[in-house]
Amino acid sequence: MSDGTRGLAKAEEIYRNRSRRALELKAQGRKVMGYMCSYIPLEILTALGILPYRIFGDIREPITEADKLLPTSFCPFVRSCIDSVYKNKYDFLDGVAGAHSCDPQEKTSHVWKSKVAYEIFPYLDMPATTHEWGERMFRRSLENFKKTLEAYVGKEITPDALKKEIALHNEQRQLVRDLYDLKKPHPPLISGTETLQVMMALASVPLEEGNEMLREVIGEAKDRTGTEANIEAKRILVFGACLDDISLIQLIEDMDAGVVMDENCTGPRAYFTDVPPTDDPMEGLTSRYLNLTCARTFREAVVGEFRKDRAADLEARYAYLGRFIRDWKVDGVIIQLVRFCDPFGYEIPELRDYLKQLGVPNMYLETEYTTGGLAAFKTRVQTFLETLI
Amino acid sequence: MFFAGLDIGSSMTKVVLIDEQGGVRAHIIGPTGAEHRRLANSVMEDALRAGGLRFEEIAYVMATGYGRINVPFADRQMSELTCQARGVFSLFPGVKTAIDIGGQDAKALKISEGRLVDFVMNDKCAAGTGRFLEVLAETLGVPLGDFGKLASKAENKVGISNICTVFARDEIATRISEGKAIADVIAGVHDAIANRVVTMARRIKVEPELVLTGGVATNRGIVEAVAEHAGCEVSVPPNPFITVALGAALLGKEIALKTLEKTGSLPTKERKLAEATFFKQEH
Repeated sequence: MSDGTRGLAKAEEIYRNRSRRALELKAQGRKVMGYMCSYIPLEILTALGILPYRIFGDIREPITEADKLLPTSFCPFVRSCIDSVYKNKYDFLDGVAGAHSCDPQEKTSHVWKSKVAYEIFPYLDMPATTHEWGERMFRRSLENFKKTLEAYVGKEITPDALKKEIALHNEQRQLVRDLYDLKKPHPPLISGTETLQVMMALASVPLEEGNEMLREVIGEAKDRTGTEANIEAKRILVFGACLDDISLIQLIEDMDAGVVMDENCTGPRAYFTDVPPTDDPMEGLTSRYLNLTCARTFREAVVGEFRKDRAADLEARYAYLGRFIRDWKVDGVIIQLVRFCDPFGYEIPELRDYLKQLGVPNMYLETEYTTGGLAAFKTRVQTFLETLI
Repeated sequence: MFFAGLDIGSSMTKVVLIDEQGGVRAHIIGPTGAEHRRLANSVMEDALRAGGLRFEEIAYVMATGYGRINVPFADRQMSELTCQARGVFSLFPGVKTAIDIGGQDAKALKISEGRLVDFVMNDKCAAGTGRFLEVLAETLGVPLGDFGKLASKAENKVGISNICTVFARDEIATRISEGKAIADVIAGVHDAIANRVVTMARRIKVEPELVLTGGVATNRGIVEAVAEHAGCEVSVPPNPFITVALGAALLGKEIALKTLEKTGSLPTKERKLAEATFFKQEH
């Protein structure tokens, strides 16, 4: 980037003007691939020289174009993403990579074509469990995804090239974990609002530039003394599907609270797990992406038993969240979902049971994916914070 | 030493002034209105007049309700649910569940030993709120104050199947045109509201002692319908409008006295009884 901003300032600048870098690179002949979901294997895209560019919705923009064509009774986040594309905000994309991560994403992977003239719509089919037979199916699906893109670019990815790409992405994942480590102290060295800006910026620029920005942000945050921070602030974890606007985090942090941890697709879910080093890189990718901690994939403890051990299943599904809560010393969890989010909606009773077992207070917030609804949240969030003594 | 609780709700503003023992010195209830929100100071002056007090005698002012940010002379703002739990607990020490039916929303609170532990609220839709009753009173041409008395005369409660206020109004007009008795229709309306709020409250589990607050709790028909749906008796405070403001005053008193004990002086900031000079822009 040439405008001289660094670290957090750069992250905020990209957050406010996400597409700038993609447009520059596009003008230089680079292919840009949009995607909406953490299941898209970015290693395959970058190995082919394609810039992955995450599509977000726009909470500040009423959904109009998408609603002319699609029913309003499914996920407003996905509807808003489509609306943004239909309103020409993503015209610089060469294609959109879709996955069967949830029904709206699967169905809309095919709907784009009727309205947008991109060159390619690669699609990743997905099993709903992490069993061995699901893994076999997912592997085949990843191979098909890779083959489609190789044919599109006219180049094959060698195993060594893919391994190199995996190492680069793992480096970014390590940097993201380093960034989140700065949120462990009390008060945290970096706020939830800043973190989300960094994470959304990361999904908008090339890998190496993202890594550079992360290093700068980490350096800046480490230099902070923390004297201005509020020591009384409650430590909150926000759990949800995808956070793509800072307004909710700001609303929480404007009160006596800090979002010190989160679990969503612009955070740990997409970055905390490395691709394991394997001789066959496709094997590592298969295992990594299939086991992401998304509600859409059921991670049960034992296969083939007719008597289910519920406690073991809950542990298999949420132990990582228990670790987040312990290591980041979380006082309370805010579960935030957009209306009609089926996979995560069905997760709520089990998740709340698990949190109850841990003795962690939690609250469920359902949003309409508009900023108009935020004022009503204020009362809920404030009340929740007041119950945390 | 006195303490004030201001509850600026969506339709009514309530002020309660209490003394050091927690006894109510004065309380007033007035409409909020668009302009009134800005004039929290004049409501406060009315309350002071009613209590025969000067503003300087108020050691702590706690503001709550939707308009809580528009009270420049408040020492602190807290959510109306926290205040509600405190207010209801002071009147009913055995309370486990509280349901509040306000002008534009409905809330259910789980209270354990006086502390708010869980809550659920509906503020997206007029169904199951006081507004629903107001709209239907208009449709029926019956004063809202007569609803309770009329419902007690119902013989064959009419089922209201529409949850949406707008559609329910049409449904009621149809029932009336079919010749159904007004008392039966009103009983049906009460039943629909009670069903709606109790279903919402079940998400946090309804356990006795159950207390019903908010202006709607003055309507006997609603109280009975809520008891029927909840499957337990319902307690109603003598003045169900002011429990939130009372709780606010009590919480303010606790904060003030704790600080006084710790530091030897009151936490009261520099303040002056003035109107809000700006509207804080909501996101």
